[in-house]
Amino acid sequence: MRALHPFTLLAVAAALPALAWILPAPAGGLATAGIAFCLLGSRGLRRGLWPALVAAAPFRLFLLLLHDVRTTLAIGLRISTMVASFVWLAAVLAPDRLVEATVARGWSITAAYLFAATLSAVPMLRARARRIVEAQRCRGLSPRGSVANRLRALRALALPLVLSALHEVDERTLALEARGLVPGARRTPLAPPPDRVVERVVRWGLLLLCLAALVRRVA
Amino acid sequence: MSARLLALIPVAVAISLALSAAVDAVALPLFLDTTGTILATALAGPVVGIAVGALTSAVNTLRNPTFWPFVVVQVIVALYAGFAARAALFRSLKTAVPAGLGLGVIASLTSTPISYFVFGCTTTGGIALTTALGKALGLPPLGACFFGSFVSDFGDKAVTFALVASVLHALPRRTAARFPLALRAIGAA
Repeated sequence: MRALHPFTLLAVAAALPALAWILPAPAGGLATAGIAFCLLGSRGLRRGLWPALVAAAPFRLFLLLLHDVRTTLAIGLRISTMVASFVWLAAVLAPDRLVEATVARGWSITAAYLFAATLSAVPMLRARARRIVEAQRCRGLSPRGSVANRLRALRALALPLVLSALHEVDERTLALEARGLVPGARRTPLAPPPDRVVERVVRWGLLLLCLAALVRRVA
Repeated sequence: MSARLLALIPVAVAISLALSAAVDAVALPLFLDTTGTILATALAGPVVGIAVGALTSAVNTLRNPTFWPFVVVQVIVALYAGFAARAALFRSLKTAVPAGLGLGVIASLTSTPISYFVFGCTTTGGIALTTALGKALGLPPLGACFFGSFVSDFGDKAVTFALVASVLHALPRRTAARFPLALRAIGAA
């Protein structure tokens, strides 16, 4: 499944939740949730099943707290479809293949850079945030007590993180300029993922299916 | 878009997502997930802010898919922060905190229909519980949903605005001057 074109994976992950919301409940939601969990349960991806089930569980609990059983079932199946589809997508979609696919399709290098740079910056800054929390605790910062005390502690934790991140913008700017990444520049992809005719047909088919279901639902 | 603004966007998204570590440490009922959007808007204008907001929602969606429909809230936040920056509302905490409270009302008004119609008001445990409290107080379903969103958004946006104002004032003037809107946002230009 990982060999599929990234746009096909995105199309499937977008179409399933869309259909779950468009098709009449609970049959529509049951069908889409079934497909999404089957995709997750396919060979090599079974480890994704548990996170999806665990992530969707609190929603069912809270839905039951706020709604009757019928509504809980309808909304719960839609949310389960959404969670399972995206957990599946995260498991099968390699960001570097997506970047290559967007570049091969002629999309702006800016969009590809933003996606790839964000995915690499988030874990880096999270690790730095944890280090700052530990460092400030070592210096005697107490993040407990009254709300005012906690807000002061929050400022002491957040300011170094945000300021250090903003100083990093200078380094990144120099790196981008040195690599000639300016608006309008085109890059040649090294290994563009193959986009077979059958996959293109599937993508258009999914779009038409969603539109047809929407028209039928509205009519 | 210049290379500097292009470099700012992923950093601002990462700020929004990394601040959860600081929030966890102080155990306050805050999200601060719009900090990057507001900061980027105050530095470089609403277009950059909208890009940061959309990208924050997209990356958050990979972790929790229920975030994606709320991308609309990020856009509203960026537009509001753009107005606040042009009006120099980040010049002090006295102006930033009320502006943040105003954003809290607007953000909860925007997120309520999404939360109600898409998720039946069960986006997070905290919001579901405050919605249940609103229901117990006799509010109608949509009113209870707004109550849940309002309780979580009101304080969160005020703290976020205060934090962004603190950051803008702590930035060296030379660094701030490299961004098109930063000095105007703090009333220094």
